[in-house]
Amino acid sequence: MKSKLLTFMGLLVLAGLVLGACAQPAADDSQVTELQAQLDAALADAGASDEEIAALQEQLETAKEAAAAAAAAAAEAVPAEEPMEPQPVTLDYNFGTEPPTADPSLATDTTSSNLIGSIFMGLTDQDDVTKEIVPSLATSWASSEDKTVWTFQLRDDIPWVQYNTTTGEVDPVLDDDGNPRIVNANDVVYGVKRTCDPNTASDYAWLLYSIKGCEALNSADPSAEDFQDVYGAMSVVALDDFTVEFTTEFGAGFFPGVVSMANLYPTPQWIIEDKGDRWIEPGFIVTNGAYVMSEWVHGDHLILEKNPLWPLWGTDYGSGNIERIFGVTIEEASTSFAMYQNDELDTAGVPLEEVDRVKAEMASEFKNSPINCTYYYGFVTEKPPTDDVRVRKALSMGIDRATLVETVTKGGQIPANTFTNPLNFGQHAEDPDIAPWALTEEKGGTGYAKAVEMGKGLLAEAGFPNGAGLDILLMHNVSEGHARIAQAVQAMWQEAYPEMTVSVETQEWRVYLDTIRASSAIEQVPNVFRLGWCGDYPHANNWMHEVFNPDEGANRIRLSVDDPQVGDLVKEYAETTVAAQVASPAEADALYKRAEILLNDEIVGIAPIYYYTTVNVTKPWLERSFDQIKRHFFQWELDWDAKQAALEQ
Amino acid sequence: MVRYIIRRLLSFIPVLFAISLVIFMMARALPGGPFDFAGDRTIPASVVANLEQKYHLDWPVWRQYLAWVWDALRGDLGPSFYYRSLTVNDLLKQTLPTSFQLGVLSLGLALIIGIPAGTIAALKHNKAADHASSFVAIMGVSIPNIVLAPLLIYIFAVLLGWLPAARWGADYTDYALGFIPPLNRQFWEHAIMPVLVLGTALTAVIARLTRGSLLQVLREDYIRTARAKGLREKSVVGIHAMKNAIIPVITILGPLFAAIVTGTFVIEQIFGINGMGQHFIDSINNRDYPVVMGTLLVYSVILVVANLFVDIAYAWLDPRIRYE
Repeated sequence: MKSKLLTFMGLLVLAGLVLGACAQPAADDSQVTELQAQLDAALADAGASDEEIAALQEQLETAKEAAAAAAAAAAEAVPAEEPMEPQPVTLDYNFGTEPPTADPSLATDTTSSNLIGSIFMGLTDQDDVTKEIVPSLATSWASSEDKTVWTFQLRDDIPWVQYNTTTGEVDPVLDDDGNPRIVNANDVVYGVKRTCDPNTASDYAWLLYSIKGCEALNSADPSAEDFQDVYGAMSVVALDDFTVEFTTEFGAGFFPGVVSMANLYPTPQWIIEDKGDRWIEPGFIVTNGAYVMSEWVHGDHLILEKNPLWPLWGTDYGSGNIERIFGVTIEEASTSFAMYQNDELDTAGVPLEEVDRVKAEMASEFKNSPINCTYYYGFVTEKPPTDDVRVRKALSMGIDRATLVETVTKGGQIPANTFTNPLNFGQHAEDPDIAPWALTEEKGGTGYAKAVEMGKGLLAEAGFPNGAGLDILLMHNVSEGHARIAQAVQAMWQEAYPEMTVSVETQEWRVYLDTIRASSAIEQVPNVFRLGWCGDYPHANNWMHEVFNPDEGANRIRLSVDDPQVGDLVKEYAETTVAAQVASPAEADALYKRAEILLNDEIVGIAPIYYYTTVNVTKPWLERSFDQIKRHFFQWELDWDAKQAALEQ
Repeated sequence: MVRYIIRRLLSFIPVLFAISLVIFMMARALPGGPFDFAGDRTIPASVVANLEQKYHLDWPVWRQYLAWVWDALRGDLGPSFYYRSLTVNDLLKQTLPTSFQLGVLSLGLALIIGIPAGTIAALKHNKAADHASSFVAIMGVSIPNIVLAPLLIYIFAVLLGWLPAARWGADYTDYALGFIPPLNRQFWEHAIMPVLVLGTALTAVIARLTRGSLLQVLREDYIRTARAKGLREKSVVGIHAMKNAIIPVITILGPLFAAIVTGTFVIEQIFGINGMGQHFIDSINNRDYPVVMGTLLVYSVILVVANLFVDIAYAWLDPRIRYE
């Protein structure tokens, strides 16, 4: 029994090896030429016998026949496999992980947003270069004086399309009269309401709570009698076919940024109602973007094809030439990088341990680019000794950010003195008026040495001379990268304030998030916790207000207007981020600056550490952009001839 | 024998029920829930309520368990909480065959090399061949996959460019009978490195086990008797000794088979293979209860069945073992 199994396995392996090694049949032109030469030589040679010549002639005939047959087969095979049209310009890309969804209403993560942004089109978009909010499906927008009513004017030429898995064509979706169905204001209204609809159960519904009626709808009981009324009452309406109007709960100057999020994209009601949760599968899914999804093998790869019916190809917005995207979902950074080196990917991230080498050896392919995230340490302002603002400030001063990014993180990260990432409206990154001790002298700050001196003074004032008696618990979630940073910070603190003690603890991600909740018991929480924040839309409101306004968001740093030291400042902070929502752009900008000073320098609720970057390599034949919200594949340029030439080598 | 098998199959029913209960409770015992956070954002209670309602997490726990078992009995392992449009059945259908192929090939490789290597080592006890084989086996055990895999990728993909760096050479859309891939060049090119890496560690385990066990058997009285009777060495070892010596190997094959064919996280992660191991670890991190429970249940079933086969093999190998 066993031996049979072994034999079977052996045969399996052998068969595979044989099949793998199986070469083209040997009868080719070179053999014919060689035989012909032999025959000629034999004929010329007087000594050659007739038998020899006859044998060679026969061999030659056989070889000629075989070669002719092979050529005929090849001639037949070529047109069958490769149609007359050339191969599509194909980008080999790694999405980095399986996109959890392609449903705009359900997206909460960047991978899903990347995919959705390629196959759908929302009202607005963010420009990769200027980082500004630019028109996309909407051509223009306007708001009421108090910024509570927003009207968007839509393009009237974007068709809904569906990939036909049988013909491999992109078909327009037709309406009842047989005309192509154009994306209209009702599709936008449906998409937005669907995100708020409790039946959809979108994790991100709350991001739309600024729209009047969304929270009420999201909290409503779907089986209640008045549910349809609540649904209808939500303030997003189609004024006409191509005009949509939103009313917000409060003045929201940031609203054009909000509508760039996938959760507010138009979606095809008829398909969703017909196919249920499966509507996003290729063959079913109806989209309106630059690409269509033709294949999605979950966990392995997905294929996007150019949507030829998208009218923006050839314009500045759709300036790219990529016709097909083969997207894999490799999570391991070193594997993805190996695939890049093996020409299996056109662009890839660089694993941390390779950064130094790649920078030196592949400088022309290397690029680090900022992304819209900030890494920070939060202080629990209710837990002694970090309930003392002087201690918090001294700790923030004790972090040598410039050294940290150079020697520990190494990816070209930018030392941070503010919370709001530089890629947002209302940001004041590297403004030396804000926490100047976090900036080097070249950037107009005080430099680390002076910062430590100031920190020592503050600690002495707070009753911890040289850190004596100061006992700090620092916590982060389990990750090698976070551990390295925490160890470096621990060492910096202990060097700056030699008598303090710092203990570091780690927890698994979900447990960690539970621990640092604003509602968990004070004995459980650490003094200092690490977190990062990535913008949902590029506006300081998403940072200063939604994360740290004590009446909004998670408030893990437990800001309170009753704080004996900084209560008044907390009150001012809360009022400032609200005031910024309705202020004119110039006023809002000034208010956000004040808020940054409060958060980082006066209340010291957090110690911002760095602004994130991604470190990428890109093949010379690809010109790509580095973007914030979604990948603008439709703006990337790929030199197909150069790529094919490189692959053939 | 047939009665024994039937009895064993019937005993699976209470065993699997017990396992399902433990699995269900273990998944729920993980701290935190699937919908506590979106990324690191806390979610308002109203949003959490919608999610819990959609996935029936608002039901009493006993009702959730019964509903899960009832669905599982009908072959429906429920929706994934994380991949919102996929079900656990989808995930298993797409990942289990891949893990199965990788596991079976690696295990096959390990048996083909490990058993002869162990046998030779035992027969040449304390001679050069034994030391060489032991050395290789210890290397195989002690070089972790996490080192060997990137090394092979570096040599054969990056430096030499002979093999693709990662991924599996077939996907579930083109499997015959649901699990047999097209055995073409593309498949083998992708399979060779992961199979080799996974197979190396297994080979070492099996070689060591075969060697130790055979050495012990060779010292038994009945072997001396066999030799005294003048039997040729070939049949002493090949028939009399091997049959007993292989029993420990067969014993370990049951759990090993179950563990290997249901996915190996490290290999799948490094080679970017869409297997069950990777989804299992991800599902724990995401608190994706149905996926955690579904994969564990499939693993349990395979383990229980593999052990049955092991027991049957015992009876065949050792006449002293009889089942009534």
